Amino acid sequence: MNNKTHLVILVILFSFACYTHAQTNQGNDTLSGKIIRITIASEPDYPPFCLVDKNGKADGFSIELFKAIAKEEHIVTTIKFGTWVKIKQDLAEGKINALPLVGRTPEREALYDFTFPYLTLHGGVFVREGTKGINSIADLKDKTVIVMKGDNAEEFVRRNNIAKTIITTHTFAAAFRLLAAGSYDAVITQRVLGIRLLKDLNIDGIIPLNIPMDNFRQDFCIAVKKGDTALLAKLNEGLSVVIANGTYDKIHLKWFGPDIKERYTYNNLIKLLIYILIPIIALLLLIAVYTLRKLVKSRTKRLNEEILEHKKTLNALHSRQILLTEMEKVSKVGGWVHDVVTNKVTLTDGVYAIFGISPLEMDPKENDFGLDYLIAEDKTLFNLALSQTIATGEPFDLELQLNSADGTLKWVRTSGHAEYNNGKIVSIFGNVIDISRQREVESNLRKLTGDLESLVNERTAELNEKVEKLNKSQQAMLYMVEDLNRVTSELKQERQNLETANKELEAFSYSVSHDLRAPLRAMDGFTRILQEDYASKLDDEGKRLLNIVSDNAKKMGHLIDDLLKFSRLSRKELTFSEINMYDLANDVYQQSCSDKDKGKIEFRLHNIPPAFGDSSMMRQVWVNLISNAIKFSSHKAKQLIEIGCNTEGSQNHYYIKDNGDGFDMLYINKLFGVFQRLHAESDFEGTGVGLAIVQRIILRMNGRVWAEGKVDEGATFYFVLPKANK
Amino acid sequence: MDTNIIDILIVEDNKNDLELTLRALKKNNIANHIHVIPDGAEAMDYFFGTGKYLNRNMSQNPKMVILDLKLPKVDGLEILRKIKSDERTKAIPVVILTSSKEESDVVQGYKLGANSFIVKPVDFDKFMVTVRDLGMYWLLLNEPPK
Repeated sequence: MNNKTHLVILVILFSFACYTHAQTNQGNDTLSGKIIRITIASEPDYPPFCLVDKNGKADGFSIELFKAIAKEEHIVTTIKFGTWVKIKQDLAEGKINALPLVGRTPEREALYDFTFPYLTLHGGVFVREGTKGINSIADLKDKTVIVMKGDNAEEFVRRNNIAKTIITTHTFAAAFRLLAAGSYDAVITQRVLGIRLLKDLNIDGIIPLNIPMDNFRQDFCIAVKKGDTALLAKLNEGLSVVIANGTYDKIHLKWFGPDIKERYTYNNLIKLLIYILIPIIALLLLIAVYTLRKLVKSRTKRLNEEILEHKKTLNALHSRQILLTEMEKVSKVGGWVHDVVTNKVTLTDGVYAIFGISPLEMDPKENDFGLDYLIAEDKTLFNLALSQTIATGEPFDLELQLNSADGTLKWVRTSGHAEYNNGKIVSIFGNVIDISRQREVESNLRKLTGDLESLVNERTAELNEKVEKLNKSQQAMLYMVEDLNRVTSELKQERQNLETANKELEAFSYSVSHDLRAPLRAMDGFTRILQEDYASKLDDEGKRLLNIVSDNAKKMGHLIDDLLKFSRLSRKELTFSEINMYDLANDVYQQSCSDKDKGKIEFRLHNIPPAFGDSSMMRQVWVNLISNAIKFSSHKAKQLIEIGCNTEGSQNHYYIKDNGDGFDMLYINKLFGVFQRLHAESDFEGTGVGLAIVQRIILRMNGRVWAEGKVDEGATFYFVLPKANK
Repeated sequence: MDTNIIDILIVEDNKNDLELTLRALKKNNIANHIHVIPDGAEAMDYFFGTGKYLNRNMSQNPKMVILDLKLPKVDGLEILRKIKSDERTKAIPVVILTSSKEESDVVQGYKLGANSFIVKPVDFDKFMVTVRDLGMYWLLLNEPPK
């Protein structure tokens, strides 16, 4: 009966238990997938289980099996060598992690934990060939047996008090050599091990007795330090795998050759059942559990993957649904489908949103588009358009009004087109767009345009008004310009007239100077001739009368001269310059005054400032004023003439004061008139033009002149001129 | 009268003034050959040997011309201009003796080449002095260019 047979039986027997076990162990696989490093130790000389090969490396059935397990479980193993006693002690102390081959005994269970047994060996009694009297274990009672120290055999013989004397050696080889040499009675060891050892040692004459040793059965396991359950679990798992995948059988065959032939008696079968089958069943159970677990794991994984994929698809679908709904919400659109065959209508969330309801609030019945929300005439319009599309396949596009659930009046645009299948219209697809906002904007725009237009009109009107005003202003201005032109031309005319008048005046003056003087000259001249040539014929009265004629002629001449001088003042061009008034006044005084006069005149000339004007004209002013002062004070015994100036602002007020006869302020108006005299000619000579000339000159120099006087107390003449520009 | 031998030519239309002038010159013993022309046009004829003076010896010019400004037909300044712009008459000394003291006349007179400008005074005594001085100066002191 091989392991495969066991497997089949066990699978049948315990298959019910597997599922539950697999489930409970799921997720307990904490160490799988990790690389573990451990150190084990081996005896150099325990064939065929543990030995040293030609290269000095550990070898043997147990070693190879352990390596296979380690490979399966991703365990990296370092193997040390040592005597059995030493390595046993090392494991107990934790210096190494495992021993590949340890027989399980009650004594050892206190020190180590064991995997399930991978090999069960039975003890054997080896004697020298020809030995008599040993047919059962009981026969050894008075015999001396040899065992290896610390071996199961020693424990066995001591535990059961089998022999009279127990001799121990360090190896079974030594024990067999002693026995072969004739010493002692028997060697007790594992039967398989003994046979192999004897063969290896080339010892003849030693045979195993056919005595069953029920109490000396050894279950060989891998031992780990007591409590190292993690490693133990891994090793158990690995052991199951190598047994399951046939590696165990291969290794077994290599080291032990074909099965040792054994006779299976009923008793043996029972024993087999008890000692071999049950552990194997347990082992197979584990293997099954493991395998199932793997299977379940992979199935679960695949299932999970499928679920994940499904979830992903669902999520994507959901996202798209959300996107669509959101898009519909944001863009205020919706879609609908009308199945022509079933009359069923499907609406998207967007349509409900436009109606202002949740999709749960309305379950579209047959041919129900939520048309009740539409205003009456638009409802008719839609139905008409839809039925036409169903009939003809022509698409439609409508703008409709609806009253949404919240009471707002909305504008929507809906269009529909037919879908064909095998040339027949099967459904109408359509959309709905909320265009209320668009409509509102349009209306606002229209209103705005209207406002703008009216604004433009208003502004245009204002502008026109302004333009009109401007035109009027322009017109007014034109009139003004015209007036101005007229005035200018009038002025021009006036000027021309004036110029003409001036010319006439000049001509007149010319005539006066030439023609008026000529008769006077004749009067005077011929009077003189008369006086000269006819003096003897004239008496004194006659001569006096002729003198009167002559004097008047001369006087007339003076009058004409002064008059001409005065008229020339208006026409003469002025040359403005700074005039030293002090020097000028002084010079004029010196020239106007005879030495005789100077004797009785006190002339006070203050340091008067310069003036700005025409110097020759200015001289004339001083001549007239100074000579007047001298003349009109000539009656005084002591004449006083004072010339000074007061400065006021930008003007100089010049004055000349005398202590003469003065004048009555009552006649001040006549003072500066032409030919106006305030004194009798018999008192003061003069033509009455002097002050008129002064006034005319001062006015032409942008100044003014006035006088103060009192009869018999003198007169003061003032004239004001702008300060000289420096 | 021989118009070819003239010491002083008087161009004057006013008979009174002329009489006074002549009296003044005679009183001062100036002028044996005095010729009087009473209007502008005749004066022009004299100077340029035309009309009435067609046969005048043009090489014999008066030593001095006393010229009034206000003259019938052609006025004094025009005559002056003509004399002074003609080579034949240019050298004749011309004294303007006029009633006018008009500055424009004076300026114009000198500009046109008048040798002197004298205003006739109303006062007869002064007139006598003026004419005497005038005659003396021009006839005795000035040597006319040959």
